[in-house]
Amino acid sequence: MPRSSSTAADGSPAPRPGMPLGLLGDGESAEIVAVATAARGGCESRAEEMGLRIGKRVVMLSNGAGPVLVKVDESRIAVDRGVAMKIKVTK
Amino acid sequence: MSAAPKLSPVSAEHPGAARSITIAVAGNPNSGKSTLINAIAGSRLHVGNWPGVTVEKKEAAFEHEGRRLRLVDLPGTYSLSPYSQEEIVARDYLAHERPDVIVNVVDATNLERNLYLTVQLLELGIPVVMALNVYDEAQAKGHRIDVRGIEARLGVRVVPTSATRKQGLEELLGAVVATADRSHVRTIAPLSYGPDLDGATAGVARALEERHPELTARLPARWLALKLVEGDARVLEETGLERDALVAAPLAHLVAAHGDDVEAIVAEARYGLAAGLTREVLERPSLQKTELTERIDRVVLNRFLGIPIFLAAMWLVFKLTFDLSAPFGDWIDAMTSGPFKRWAAVLLGAIGAPGWTVSLVNDGVIAGVGFVLVFVPVIFAMMFFITFLEGSGYMARAAFVMDKAMHAMGLHGKSFIPMVLGFGCNVPGVYATRTLESGRDRILTALLIPLMSCGARLPVYVLFVGVFFPQRPGTVIWSLYVIGIALAITMGVVFKKTLFRGEAPAFIMELPPYRMPSLRSLCLHTWEKGKHFLTKAGTYILAVSVIVWFMLNLPWGVEHKKDSYLGKAGQVMAPALAPLGFGTWEAASSLITGVIAKEIVVGTMSEIYAPKPAHEEQAPTFAEDLREIGTSFVGAGREALSNVVSTAGLSSISIDKADEAPSPLKDAVRGAFTPLTALGFMVFVLLYMPCVVVAIAMRQEFGGWKWFGVAFAYQTALAWGMALLVYQGGRLLGLGA
Repeated sequence: MPRSSSTAADGSPAPRPGMPLGLLGDGESAEIVAVATAARGGCESRAEEMGLRIGKRVVMLSNGAGPVLVKVDESRIAVDRGVAMKIKVTK
Repeated sequence: MSAAPKLSPVSAEHPGAARSITIAVAGNPNSGKSTLINAIAGSRLHVGNWPGVTVEKKEAAFEHEGRRLRLVDLPGTYSLSPYSQEEIVARDYLAHERPDVIVNVVDATNLERNLYLTVQLLELGIPVVMALNVYDEAQAKGHRIDVRGIEARLGVRVVPTSATRKQGLEELLGAVVATADRSHVRTIAPLSYGPDLDGATAGVARALEERHPELTARLPARWLALKLVEGDARVLEETGLERDALVAAPLAHLVAAHGDDVEAIVAEARYGLAAGLTREVLERPSLQKTELTERIDRVVLNRFLGIPIFLAAMWLVFKLTFDLSAPFGDWIDAMTSGPFKRWAAVLLGAIGAPGWTVSLVNDGVIAGVGFVLVFVPVIFAMMFFITFLEGSGYMARAAFVMDKAMHAMGLHGKSFIPMVLGFGCNVPGVYATRTLESGRDRILTALLIPLMSCGARLPVYVLFVGVFFPQRPGTVIWSLYVIGIALAITMGVVFKKTLFRGEAPAFIMELPPYRMPSLRSLCLHTWEKGKHFLTKAGTYILAVSVIVWFMLNLPWGVEHKKDSYLGKAGQVMAPALAPLGFGTWEAASSLITGVIAKEIVVGTMSEIYAPKPAHEEQAPTFAEDLREIGTSFVGAGREALSNVVSTAGLSSISIDKADEAPSPLKDAVRGAFTPLTALGFMVFVLLYMPCVVVAIAMRQEFGGWKWFGVAFAYQTALAWGMALLVYQGGRLLGLGA
């Protein structure tokens, strides 16, 4: 089931399958299955506002030394590696 | 929906067509919002600040078909949740000022994310008109958008627009007027966030209306209720409401069914609406070709080429700036030091003004302001190229490329943009820190910005380099910039380990598609940025020039400048500068006035060192003067052009040829400094305290004088230490004493 939520009905964390977004290679595409919700109001929720949400397909445009650049819908979002490792994807 | 009737806070007070309409313009960053506003309002735009914060506020008032319209541009935001200053400003304005209509600018090529904000705007219960912007690009990409479908689903007027081609603007204004007059009434129920959430919100809204009627008279109950359900900290703080008392019962069912992260549930619901609507109204070609933007990015963001390309771009900006502007600077210089002074003397003579006023006007006002006006072309040229980099989309790439390097300073790539602006002038740099999310980043960035050598320090370098290092002016000036950058990195590391411990917050930003900015918008934005400098020169520096003149000429009838007030102050300061090699009262006095604005250092020097005018050579006539001004302007244009052409051949910059003509100031400086002390002096000017305008900017930005105090203290210490190092180190190495 690809559209898992980060929290299950009973409030406990759901199992998080998938690999960190930050490990995708250039040109690879994957679907977001979990976004760490630990830091509400911080950057993770900003990532969500910018479109990096569960169920979204992303394409890795550049995964080099610094931040990663992903494409989601029609926008290119640069994400810190720290955040990129907290977003889980499956291919 | 049960709460539907309460959603129309504006209704009765719409008697007729004579009323003026206040329109708030809201939208995502990069949605083309500013281009749209420029296209609508053009030169009628008035740029100011939002009260209390230094987020830029643009406003325009104008007549449209006999109606008075007032446009208020809200900061670009992705949402109305209170995470950044921009979002808070936009939200507070909408919630408290209640404009008549919101124009929601939506990027048609990026519907889903833009609609997230739309959903939040609709919550406010203010009539909305959607400008479906960049519509032409969306069509070119093969996106088919069902415009009527959006209107039907959201119950708002939707007008396709293209701000760059000025399409749809009339229709948009028409829709705004119609919506404001309620000739287009939003008939549909509020958007549903699902039965559980709707039920909970309605329950909270009812409780609010019963228990806090004074609040619901001011703010829409349903919006307040939703904010309480979300647990919006700012609303709770503003209204002083107890969340638990109001929401516990209505939320019980929701929490039982979906868990207690209600904020996430609400966000999901909004996003679900935006995503669902997008699926319904948008058809796009399944096969997407690689866009131009991505092809450019593949090169520009390449892990090996990225930084070299960035450095080359910056170098080109600097080179073009100076090549283009230097001839015009010389032209202004020639104009102010020649004809203007002659005319002023003639005029003052004609009205029988006393002799000292001629000196005040010529040596004080014209010399002081003139010295600063010389830099208008440089500042404008630099602002123009920086605006181009911003408008084209490259500046965001620069932030991306530099992110890793910036981590060394405890900052991330976004901080890089304010710093680059700092090279033009530190003041816009400090203001630009507001684009950063965390307060820590804003302050740390602003503290480092004064180390970016601003345009105002250039006159000092140009003067000294012209006298002492005429063989390689470019290299010496470049190395001063590099010293500033190197020290910014060092200080960043120091601050990170002392005052600003802790992780740099995460970096996340959108890279907009590359666009060719229109010349019109380039000029408009350049003007907006450069205007500050002009007004500064016109008001502040004028006043300071007059004060400096008086300080140099008082007590009345002072024979030697040394005995003037300024000279005496300089004498007091001079011993502190002695170990640096320039402990003269002249240098100290100049530096004192430079505290007000660094470009004044040169102005003061010219007044101190400039000997009494040895004229009169044959004064040209007025007509000759005018002709000379005209022909030399044409000459400057030609020189600028040939400079740019020679840029291709990588020949050296204009300062090389900068006036070989001897001037009294240069002769005096040559006598007073050695190459080594000149270098030390330049390093000191580069580093010593930020000017008063920066101080004011920092105070506005961070409240109180604390952070300016930190900047003042560390910079002055740094300046003294580095100049000492240059001078004493140079002497040890046996370089000129």
